[in-house]
Amino acid sequence: MSGTINQRHACCVETVDLTHRFSEAETTLDLVNLRVVEGSIYGFLGPNGAGKTTTLKLILGLLRKQHGEIHVFGRPLEKNRVETLRRVGSMIESPSLYGHLTAAENLQILQKVYRCPKERIHEVLELVGLARAGGKKASQFSLGMKQRLGIALALLHSPSLLILDEPTNGLDPNGILEIREMLQRLNRDLGVTILISSHLLPEVEKLATHVGIINRGRLLFQGTLAELMSERRQHSFVVFETSDDAKTELLIRELGLSPRAESGRVAVPSLERERVAVVNQTLVRGGVDVYQIGRVESDLEKIFFDVIGE
Amino acid sequence: MTFINSFQAEWLKRKRSLASWLVIGGAFFTPSIILASRFKNRAALPALYAKEDFWRRLWYQSWESMEVFLLPIGIILATGLIAQLEFKNNTWKQLHTTPQGFTTIYAAKLLVVLLMLAQVFALFNVGVYLSAVIPSALFGAVPYPAAPIPYADFWAGNVNFFVDCLPIVALQYLLSLHFRNFLVPVGVGFAIWFLGVGLLSWEYSYLFPYNHGAINFLTATGHFASRKVPMSVELLALLYAAAFTVAGWALYVTKRDKG
Repeated sequence: MSGTINQRHACCVETVDLTHRFSEAETTLDLVNLRVVEGSIYGFLGPNGAGKTTTLKLILGLLRKQHGEIHVFGRPLEKNRVETLRRVGSMIESPSLYGHLTAAENLQILQKVYRCPKERIHEVLELVGLARAGGKKASQFSLGMKQRLGIALALLHSPSLLILDEPTNGLDPNGILEIREMLQRLNRDLGVTILISSHLLPEVEKLATHVGIINRGRLLFQGTLAELMSERRQHSFVVFETSDDAKTELLIRELGLSPRAESGRVAVPSLERERVAVVNQTLVRGGVDVYQIGRVESDLEKIFFDVIGE
Repeated sequence: MTFINSFQAEWLKRKRSLASWLVIGGAFFTPSIILASRFKNRAALPALYAKEDFWRRLWYQSWESMEVFLLPIGIILATGLIAQLEFKNNTWKQLHTTPQGFTTIYAAKLLVVLLMLAQVFALFNVGVYLSAVIPSALFGAVPYPAAPIPYADFWAGNVNFFVDCLPIVALQYLLSLHFRNFLVPVGVGFAIWFLGVGLLSWEYSYLFPYNHGAINFLTATGHFASRKVPMSVELLALLYAAAFTVAGWALYVTKRDKG
């Protein structure tokens, strides 16, 4: 695992060696040590079938834990399930709505359970942009509206921790932007910790403060977004276009670097600015004409696929 | 979290659901048929309304189809539909991430089913009364029934019939919570009920959990006069209901995947 999160004491969610199997043949989660720092927006990334939903279901107690430990708000989930869930809002996979009831009635059900003020129903409907659709049956909602209502249900009792599984599924670009801004507002203004799973990398990049990358049940990276960006820099290349590729490669190799000649250019990985100047001077002194020097950075998507090894 | 809050939330869910319409339709079905038949044979009504056992006749006439057929079918369908509210809407995962104990959820849902059954009984009794008084209100030649209403007997009958239904409720509830496919609890329920009807003439048919209502009714109407039942049918029904409820609870709380 590349990154580290050292604030163990301030973890909102922490799993220790979490392992889960749906059958003997396949390990769905393998020793996952997730750490969601309090006050963060944790982007839980991974391709479909990577184990994201299984992890979130275990954290919410929807699946019976087989191996490992789950701590939420610093306490073991198993012994404090009801107390813990009082402070957690969630939306797992598709929104859970009673189609024969209106949006307001769907919220009223949870308002009874959480015993929160009735005014919250209108507040959260307004928050997700459904204030005018409160009297409409949930079955008549579009996918995007259902998604918004699902988020409203998760927010109704003003939770300290919000767990959202692919919450922007089915939303148009404008809807995605609104939900992103709303989540950022909740995090910034109310200090709500958000654990959000997604396979949409640009989305997570714009929203998350921390990132965890999971594939085939194994957590491959965990750290801050800054650490991931540093990873991105490490995956960058400086490309030299010169009059003689072979000589360029030889001279750079003599500097102790690992150049790679490709399609009329020589690429050198992870080169700092000062070293670029040194390489340039070496090439000029060696009689090589330098036409162009450029930096090519890997995007998050490439890092993601590098990390998951695909 | 109090049980009352959980129950209120569960009660809200049945609003406008098929199960709630089934309650109304099921309760008024037999009284409507009786009323229609009285409209058709209105000439015979004055003599009928003058009889001393008018209410008792009406009572048994109304309960005949209800106790043997309509109630078991209605319970099988309505219990399945209540559980389907969660399966069909994919809401188990939402429900199970609310701060409620699994026992509380189980009990709250069961109470909803039982109260809906009580609603059926209440509305059915209203229907029976209306099927008697509407003809006398509409047709001048038909007097208000001369005989007094035997309230105490009717109340006792209602209680007994309600208790007789409890094993069906409990077993159907167990099946409905356990199987995602609506056809499984309904199919199994109908199969058990059919088998029970087929076994009614068997001397040990009282041991069959879906038969208690029919046995109670047939005994009360004199059809099972020679039949000796060694114990109270209601007690047996309560024991079955308790056993099925505990088994259903154990299956529910120990389910591995709750979402």
